[in-house]
Amino acid sequence: MAVGKKDIECPPYAEGTPLSDEDIKEGKVTYVEDHPDIRYSWTAGQAISKFLNGLKEGKILGVKCNKCGRVMVPPRMFCELCYKPIDGWVELKDTGTVETFSISYIDPDAKPLPEPVIVAVISIDGASPHMGIMHILDEVKPEDVYIGMKVKAVWKGEEEREGAITDIKYWKPVEG
Amino acid sequence: MEVEKISGLKFHKKQDVAIVGAGMTTFKRRLNETGRELSYLAIKQALEEAGITIDDVEMVVMGSAPDTFDGLHMKSEYLLDGSGGSDRPYMRVFVGGGTGVFAPIAGYWHVASGLADVCLVITEEKMSSSYPHPQSAFKYIWDPILDRPLSPNLIWIFALEMRRYMHVHNIKHEDIALVSVKNKANALDHPCAQVAEKITVEDVLNSEPMALPVRRLDVSPPSDGAAALIMVAPHIARQLTDNPVWVTGVGWALDTTWWTNRDLYFPRYVAEAAKMAYRMAHITDPRKEIDVAEPYDPFDYKELHHMEGLGLAKKGEAPILTREGVTQRDGDLPTCPSGGLLGVGNPIAATMGVKACEIYWQLAYRAGKRQVAKEVTTGVCQAWGDLMQVGTVMVMSNKR
Amino acid sequence: MIEKIVNPKELRHWDGKIELYWVYTSGKAGDEFFKKLKEEDKFLAAKCKKCGKVYFPPRIYCEKDFSETEFVEVSGEGCVRAFTVARLDAYEKPLDNPEIYALIDIDGTDGCLIHLLGEVEPENVEVGMKVKPVLKPKDEREGRITDILYFKPL
Repeated sequence: MAVGKKDIECPPYAEGTPLSDEDIKEGKVTYVEDHPDIRYSWTAGQAISKFLNGLKEGKILGVKCNKCGRVMVPPRMFCELCYKPIDGWVELKDTGTVETFSISYIDPDAKPLPEPVIVAVISIDGASPHMGIMHILDEVKPEDVYIGMKVKAVWKGEEEREGAITDIKYWKPVEG
Repeated sequence: MEVEKISGLKFHKKQDVAIVGAGMTTFKRRLNETGRELSYLAIKQALEEAGITIDDVEMVVMGSAPDTFDGLHMKSEYLLDGSGGSDRPYMRVFVGGGTGVFAPIAGYWHVASGLADVCLVITEEKMSSSYPHPQSAFKYIWDPILDRPLSPNLIWIFALEMRRYMHVHNIKHEDIALVSVKNKANALDHPCAQVAEKITVEDVLNSEPMALPVRRLDVSPPSDGAAALIMVAPHIARQLTDNPVWVTGVGWALDTTWWTNRDLYFPRYVAEAAKMAYRMAHITDPRKEIDVAEPYDPFDYKELHHMEGLGLAKKGEAPILTREGVTQRDGDLPTCPSGGLLGVGNPIAATMGVKACEIYWQLAYRAGKRQVAKEVTTGVCQAWGDLMQVGTVMVMSNKR
Repeated sequence: MIEKIVNPKELRHWDGKIELYWVYTSGKAGDEFFKKLKEEDKFLAAKCKKCGKVYFPPRIYCEKDFSETEFVEVSGEGCVRAFTVARLDAYEKPLDNPEIYALIDIDGTDGCLIHLLGEVEPENVEVGMKVKPVLKPKDEREGRITDILYFKPL
């Protein structure tokens, strides 16, 4: 069967034995199950640690690179384009613009949610254009969300904040 | 379109590389065979088509996506005996979904450098081990501190990108749904297809919403499967066949992990990889010089997105080409004639079977019912991966 | 250069889990092997049609020359190639009774199996000792390697 023959169809056959979910549940084939319990403690690193501490105080922090002039959020210890350490921290506003959004009907395991969730990429005021973070929108109807909508962060109460991205409960549209 | 200078890149190579055989297993949601057995079945087909035996193979490249799906650390070592890796140099490559085209690129390095004259490329995926649904494994791709506390699903990132793409170019969902209709219909002629069916645009727009604007029929399913390719040096190709298919250009590029800092409407990572591949292949006007294309289509809008990244359409023009029928099998630029991932299935790394292997079969005129109507000389295949990061591109031609 | 955080209380970390659930099918060859063991008390190996190498546990292909294999029955008896005595469990807690794990060459094949040794004291185990398998009662078998309870000396 050499390459170049125009009268042969490829692939010539499709091998493999399909199974359905019932075949497994009814034990038609032998199998082994495993359910690992793997735990992690991820270090946030220098930059994100300071960012999370800032969130606890109700502030959104960004970083600045003097070479390319970008103000970046989420913050990092080095500018990935110039490949040099960043030059300083900047406090940003807690308002922003919706860059893109989606209305999700599924949870992380692809199961249906009781109420749809609106997720968006929000560029933060005070940072370079299109510097966004991902977060949830609320206090707005899904059909009223549009790209370019101005939003403001709604924070948890001071005692409830723990230094996590969820210290911002959600973002809501700015009136007017 | 002018050729832009890619500074610093030199394309020295010792010898050209030809593809002389390919094979793939069926793609289905759940297969009984273990990963090793799937690899063996795909390689058996490829060796048969090439007309060589496993003893002729000098080195092996294996591509397989995250170990989390199979539930096996060091997956490549586990798959070694079924992949022909016993007693010969064997390596694994992995760039997420981009592995489907990155594995043949790695096979290209082996032969072009002169280190091997015959290299076997095998890609395999067994997503069904992740129970009850592989989606559960996908949630660990997100950043643990900034993203996971919000309970994201991987579909979110596609939905956000699709919305941005539709907004910037003012594209309607109906035009994007045409891609799903085309690919699922194309796949009816593919023996290994998992979800080939005749559907309409209304079926897509009325299907279950997952993360709007993405609906169920916009998405490709998870699958099990394997695919293999044989890459050889010119003097070996001459002994085996009169018409080998040559690899004329390869390119790969990754963008930053900070995907929220990028404007998602244009896949820059694909454009950079394509620049590199076209430069190697001396292609200056891809729209005119490429005869058949297989861009990666895990979602229907992704085919359009990648077509623009590959330079096959101007920004915002890809949906117009689809609407006018240019991308059908009998059109001027047939795109995803195999049925792509939307029609045949999405076993992450093993998508090589519908990307690189399909372009090879089209250029060798061996695609049977899927063969495109026009004369073909040059084809391009492309894969994408991770959090909107990886672009891998390969250009092939049946003329040297 | 900007200053770094050095106070450990200000350095943050994030705890989490990776929770997954896997179902591993035995594959074509594995399915045949486990079903034969479960239902008929018999052991299967696979012989390469070209080079004659006998694989245990069986596979549908020969890894050396990639030709097909055919199933052959073997007794399941073998001899101990190497062994080790475990006195701690996987979490480094002491076991009530020591467990003996051995690498057992299976007669009539080129392959070997790792399994437990039973009905023998650790001091009496030797390399080269002949052993035979002891299976679970038929109604308790599940189609897994644990259908073999242990290997005992002949």
